[in-house]
Amino acid sequence: MTLLAVTGLTVAAGERRLVDAVSFAIAPGEVLGLVGESGSGKSLTALALAGLLPEGIAVTGGRADFAGQRLTGLTERGWRALRGRRIAMVFQDPMASLNPFMTAGAQVMEALRQHHAEPSAALRARCDRLFREVGLDAALHPGRRPHQLSGGQQQRVVIAMALAGDPELLLADEPTTALDAAVQAQILALLRRLVADRGLAMLFISHDLGVVASVSQRVGVMRHGRLLEIGPVGRVLRAPSHPYTRELVDARSRLAGEVRAAASGEEVVLRVEGLAVAYPGQGAFAAPRRVVVGVDLTLARGEAFCLLGASGSGKSSVARALMGLAARPAGRVELTGRVLPPGLAARRDPLSRRIQMVFQNPYSSLNPRLTVLQALTEPLMTAGVPRAEWRARAGAALAEVGLAAEHLDRHPHALSGGQRQRVAIARALLADPAVLVCDEVLSALDASVQGQVLALLQRLRRERRLAVLFITHDLGVARYLGGQVGVMAEGRIVERGDTAEVLDNPRHAMTQGLLAAEALPPAA
Amino acid sequence: MDGAASAAAARAPVPAKPVRRRLPPRLAAALLLVGLALLPGLVGLLPGMPDPMEQDLLALNMPPDAAHPLGTDHLGRDVLARLAAGTWLTLPTGIGGTLLAAGLGAGIGMLALTLGGVVAGAAYAAFDLLRVLPGTLLALLTAVVLGNGVWPVTLALGLAYAPLFAEVVRTAHAREMASDYVAAARVFGLGRLAVLWRHVLPNLLGPLITLSAIVLPRCIVTESVLSFLGLGVSPERPSWGRMIADASGFVEDAPHAVLAPMLALSALTLGLSLLGEMARRRADPLRREGRP
Amino acid sequence: MKGALVIGGALLRAAGLVAAIAIVVFLLLRTVPGDVVDVMAAQGDLNAAQQAALRAELGLDGGLLHQFGHWAAALSSGQLGQSLRFGRPVAEMVATALPVTLGFAAMAFALGLVLAMALAIGAVLLPRSVLPGLVEAINLWSIAMPTFVAGMGAILVFSLWLGWLPVIGNLPVPVVILGLDIAGQLAKPLLEELREAMAAPHVRTARAKGLHPVRIALAHVLPAALPVLLALSSVALAGLIGGTMTMEALFGLPGLGSLVLNAVHGRDLPVVQAVVLVLAVGVVAINAGADVLRRLADSRLTS
Repeated sequence: MTLLAVTGLTVAAGERRLVDAVSFAIAPGEVLGLVGESGSGKSLTALALAGLLPEGIAVTGGRADFAGQRLTGLTERGWRALRGRRIAMVFQDPMASLNPFMTAGAQVMEALRQHHAEPSAALRARCDRLFREVGLDAALHPGRRPHQLSGGQQQRVVIAMALAGDPELLLADEPTTALDAAVQAQILALLRRLVADRGLAMLFISHDLGVVASVSQRVGVMRHGRLLEIGPVGRVLRAPSHPYTRELVDARSRLAGEVRAAASGEEVVLRVEGLAVAYPGQGAFAAPRRVVVGVDLTLARGEAFCLLGASGSGKSSVARALMGLAARPAGRVELTGRVLPPGLAARRDPLSRRIQMVFQNPYSSLNPRLTVLQALTEPLMTAGVPRAEWRARAGAALAEVGLAAEHLDRHPHALSGGQRQRVAIARALLADPAVLVCDEVLSALDASVQGQVLALLQRLRRERRLAVLFITHDLGVARYLGGQVGVMAEGRIVERGDTAEVLDNPRHAMTQGLLAAEALPPAA
Repeated sequence: MDGAASAAAARAPVPAKPVRRRLPPRLAAALLLVGLALLPGLVGLLPGMPDPMEQDLLALNMPPDAAHPLGTDHLGRDVLARLAAGTWLTLPTGIGGTLLAAGLGAGIGMLALTLGGVVAGAAYAAFDLLRVLPGTLLALLTAVVLGNGVWPVTLALGLAYAPLFAEVVRTAHAREMASDYVAAARVFGLGRLAVLWRHVLPNLLGPLITLSAIVLPRCIVTESVLSFLGLGVSPERPSWGRMIADASGFVEDAPHAVLAPMLALSALTLGLSLLGEMARRRADPLRREGRP
Repeated sequence: MKGALVIGGALLRAAGLVAAIAIVVFLLLRTVPGDVVDVMAAQGDLNAAQQAALRAELGLDGGLLHQFGHWAAALSSGQLGQSLRFGRPVAEMVATALPVTLGFAAMAFALGLVLAMALAIGAVLLPRSVLPGLVEAINLWSIAMPTFVAGMGAILVFSLWLGWLPVIGNLPVPVVILGLDIAGQLAKPLLEELREAMAAPHVRTARAKGLHPVRIALAHVLPAALPVLLALSSVALAGLIGGTMTMEALFGLPGLGSLVLNAVHGRDLPVVQAVVLVLAVGVVAINAGADVLRRLADSRLTS
């Protein structure tokens, strides 16, 4: 017996098909995963199944049936009868999904009131039960407003609201993507438990193959609006029938490959001692917030150092402090043997150019009004390179990162995320650095592109003897780069050493937590 | 290309071929209104027009006829001639006020932000002070201190609207300075001035022009209100607001003397406002500017 | 408590603003050549000794600081000086005129606010009805039709042509005209804000919960639009000052606007000074109030 049957569903915005003749079915109590990169149409599929497609986008073909009732062509009133009561939905960003003005309890009660015609006392009791069911404290959390809850707690509240009407189908659109790795694992465990306890069917959507595999029984792969293949999780991962699926699976395992031996015997180019960064507290009399407290590290030529940690551990602040972007950092930084003064004033010193940075977001690190050439010439301007040489040098830099010179006269919006990140790397290279600081440079990129950029960085390490300080939360990347690793928590490095050593034998709780949260595909 | 690029490519501007088609109706209507409002002004430049100040005490409050296409007012002055003269009073004052506001607001704002720190804080505190005082109040003060006339009115308009321009400058400056590409530029060693020139200023021009298009009709309205209240240009000079005030006492006898400037003022304001609104929408289709 | 700090801070800022305005007004009006005594000397024949004595009595003989001190002291005891034209205490004149202006300004604002909210909420719930068009129309009206032109037009149509309503002392017509103007200022930005709030993720969640659209509009969409409404309202209220002046002039209402206009034309400086100060204090108070409300709301969101 099928709960949800989707046949040839097509969703379009005007002429453009965003979801193209997609067909699948979900049985009661079954979890179907839908995996794909951004723009694959997976989210729109879910939205179409809840009648929540945005303005200008509509179902233009195919049909969907839920428990015998036809979903396609339903009126808004018809949808309202289903939403929350039989089909519920959970979205990606829990903070944004909650009304900032209402308490968590009030929002869950609102849903309960909508779906159960019972007196307040009975509803209150239901509310408490729901809070406990999603792993929250029924005495403490209902009275809190969303901003007073952590990301994981917020998502639990969202899940509680979704369950208020006792639905049969849960549509989960990237429910853990915005959460920390450790919290992600907890929410996934919660969802698995709810599915088992309630006999809930779920459509689980994510770009992360590992995450999808850990909750689903069957998985479908989408790309450019099309469903490329669908089948039991184990089979799809072990023996993918479509080349694109194979690419996705490989991208994950490529990062879990051999750990490179650390480079040794090279001269030290970066030495950091007692780095500390504090931001002024909010409000006139608040104490300053210490985001980095006494960080030491050394980097030799050609070596890679991965700074790992959850968000808020201070790792990005370390990067910004090294580049002079932190307000008043303390500590001592030595670059190629000479002391580098802190702050932006020091950036005029030619010494400071030997350390450069690539930012996380390729969509905001390039001025959209300037051409690639104009962006690339900034480091040349301050180095006093004569104008006549600019184009040649810029073209050479692009070639080094694997881009054709024709991109020089393009604007950033004409380039993909991966290409933009390469331009950002080329720009940093034009200052001829000895140390390259990469601040989460892969997180904004699709999985298939991440591997390419990583390979580029490895090549640059080899060819230029470039030292790389790589800031990330992704353990797979750390393994790939080899070298040294430092795990940060609350502004300190709590564990450090050779990558292989630390990741195989973690000693600190933080490192263990990061490892536990890694969801590698089963039977890979 | 990955998903992001295909989406970006779909959004990228397609090179536009000049299309010979009729003007969109809103634009046509706006231009028509402005044209109609300015028509008397152009007509008034023709030779042989009567003197707007000349009083004909034998022809008080005459309805429109051959000699006086729009009739005469309560002092026997030709309404059309006064309307025409008023155009060349109202419009330049409005434009002057807008330019002064832009100059003061954007100029001082930019300077203050460049110098940074205490100077910026003080300058913007002063702008906040100005912003609190409504235009009419400022005009009251300038009228009392400097008397009537074009310059006091222009000054009042400039002071009243300068904070808006200063705010636009502050918002744009803050947004640019917080961006990653400006951080990258500073990391490369670019100085503050170079960053301003390269990254901040190019993004300023558009919003400033758009704001000017929105402020201009408001300046014109404010000028007419001030003239109506007697706080504007000197009483004899025929600003449209003044004409309405003067004629309001004789509305029963000579409605034409009141209607003509009313219609001209409404047409000009409406037309310019529509143009301003269209400019704002073109410059800013997705991201809404702060509302003045 | 945090709220007390917020209110205290805002009051401090407001006080500072008022002090700054008072200083500016004082200085500006002192630059006008000639003072009260000169005018009085010209009107009645006062010799030099009498002028000097008068100056001493009015505190006009000291330096600027001395004069300011004298004036500020008088101010704090509620004395606003004496009118030059009428010889009456200014405070009394202001006290008579203030309720008139306050009264119909408050009514106009209330009318405008209610109308704008009704139109905007209706337009966002019923996008295919005539309501969005009405919002556009009223917005256009407030932009293109200065209130005095509308007032003039109303006089032409309702008083002269149709003869329904009197002109002098008419209260409903100015209230309606100003109210429409305010509604025009508020409705469209409010509608845009509501529309944007409708697209917010938490509204999508509310829809996913299966809630009724009206409930969504009131509990989830409207609160998001309130900060903007607050900001716009304070601007609209400040703009009312000019509007009330013109309405008072057109319809012969004895409010603050008429008072100060007559004073400007008659060079009655003490009256001008006092009214400008009263109006400025009013505007500062409104802004401070809006500021406090905004900060309180913010602190609830980020405590």
